Amino acid sequence: MFEKTAESVQEESSEAEKLRLFEARIARGEKIEPGDWMPAEYRRQLIRMISQHAHSEIVGMLPEGAWITRAPSLRRKMILLAKVQDEAGHGQYLYHAAETLGISREEMLAALLEGRAKYASVFNYPTLTWADVGVIGYLVDFAAILNQTMLARCSYGPYARAMVRICAEENFHKKQGQDIVIHLASGTSSQKAMVQDAINRWWWPTLMMFGPHDGESPNTPVLVRWGIKTRTNNDELRQSFVNQIVPELHSLGLSLPDPSLHYNKATGDWIIGEIDWDEFWRVINGHGPCNQERMEARRRAHEEGAWVREALSAYNG
Amino acid sequence: MHASDPEMALLNARDVFVRRPECTSLWVVLADAIFSKTAQELEEQELGDKGLGDEGVKEESGEVENYYIFYKPKPTGTQTLVGEVPAAAPVEALRLALERFSGDKPPSAWWVLPARRVLVSSPDDIESMFAPAQDKKFRLSTDFHTLTEMRRVKSEFGGQ
Repeated sequence: MFEKTAESVQEESSEAEKLRLFEARIARGEKIEPGDWMPAEYRRQLIRMISQHAHSEIVGMLPEGAWITRAPSLRRKMILLAKVQDEAGHGQYLYHAAETLGISREEMLAALLEGRAKYASVFNYPTLTWADVGVIGYLVDFAAILNQTMLARCSYGPYARAMVRICAEENFHKKQGQDIVIHLASGTSSQKAMVQDAINRWWWPTLMMFGPHDGESPNTPVLVRWGIKTRTNNDELRQSFVNQIVPELHSLGLSLPDPSLHYNKATGDWIIGEIDWDEFWRVINGHGPCNQERMEARRRAHEEGAWVREALSAYNG
Repeated sequence: MHASDPEMALLNARDVFVRRPECTSLWVVLADAIFSKTAQELEEQELGDKGLGDEGVKEESGEVENYYIFYKPKPTGTQTLVGEVPAAAPVEALRLALERFSGDKPPSAWWVLPARRVLVSSPDDIESMFAPAQDKKFRLSTDFHTLTEMRRVKSEFGGQ
């Protein structure tokens, strides 16, 4: 039978005391900063979350970036360029935040390019028309705002501060998308058909952004106690999104691709049909319409940018 | 911000952090030039003697020079420039800062950094670095009047 030495007992109680103080700081609303003591699991979970968020911003540039050269006017092109530039900036904020936890940019990028790291599965769908650009801004970025506003209260200082800045800029993203959808929905019959088609294709992937039904994650209690998971209820947030967006889309004369969708007068909620979680897991696990294309684009960009990294290293001496 | 030299850091910081028309000056400094202490650390440990450096701080000229002093008023705040002190080492600068800038409510964290290590954008560069953002109102959510547009559509088409 293993017997603990006096030294290991002392070390364990020191670690336990550190954990107690750490959790007390979080309970008091204090931010944990780089260099502060933190449990290894806290660090690991944050690295996973923040790096995946960063990857999502960078990969998220691809579906809309494809429409920069095909925007219908110069103004729309400038707006879309600004939005995609913002996403690059968001990725930078988040990679920097993750690096403060001790992981390198190279390690994070290797994980993405080798398929070991995930990114938001919603970006594995194609943008087939200009209306998709509007719907992504209006629906997908609105869902992201709801998801991410809570993260501005995350216990880790660099991530919380990055989220404050990101959420402010996401407002512009949502409004420019909403502006496109309004104009198309109140335009010609072809324009309206185009935006309706985009809604039909993006509706369910957007709802999946809020994550699976609650109760499916065993780690939730400790992550909530550590201020990493700042909300406990995916379904509530999804319902909040549905309740806000459905009446707006209806007022534009647009419908949702959900035969089960109906209004519950008693609760004031718009009730949606069952989400196809098989599709969700298929896409997350690499079998969506554009997973391969997205990763090929990222790997090509990394390979073609090698000379820039080499030049910087040479310049740096 | 990662960069190969301070000038590139300044330009990268402009591109990443200052895309909206809200900036007239940008500062960059190498992370290891910043000597920082939280309120908790200051309670638990004595500051080192004058002339001694601290962990991770490579900067120590030995001669008296200007240090910028930042503090974070509360845990959820951001570091704010509160003044400058002359000192021969970061620890001494922090000690002076604690005497001069603490106030009634101790801040939650402090930064001190040698002024000579900070690259500040030049006032002459305001026009070229930050002014272009002034014209790009389309980057602002306030440039999109979606509420007005939604009301217009509802009244024209009698939406639900």
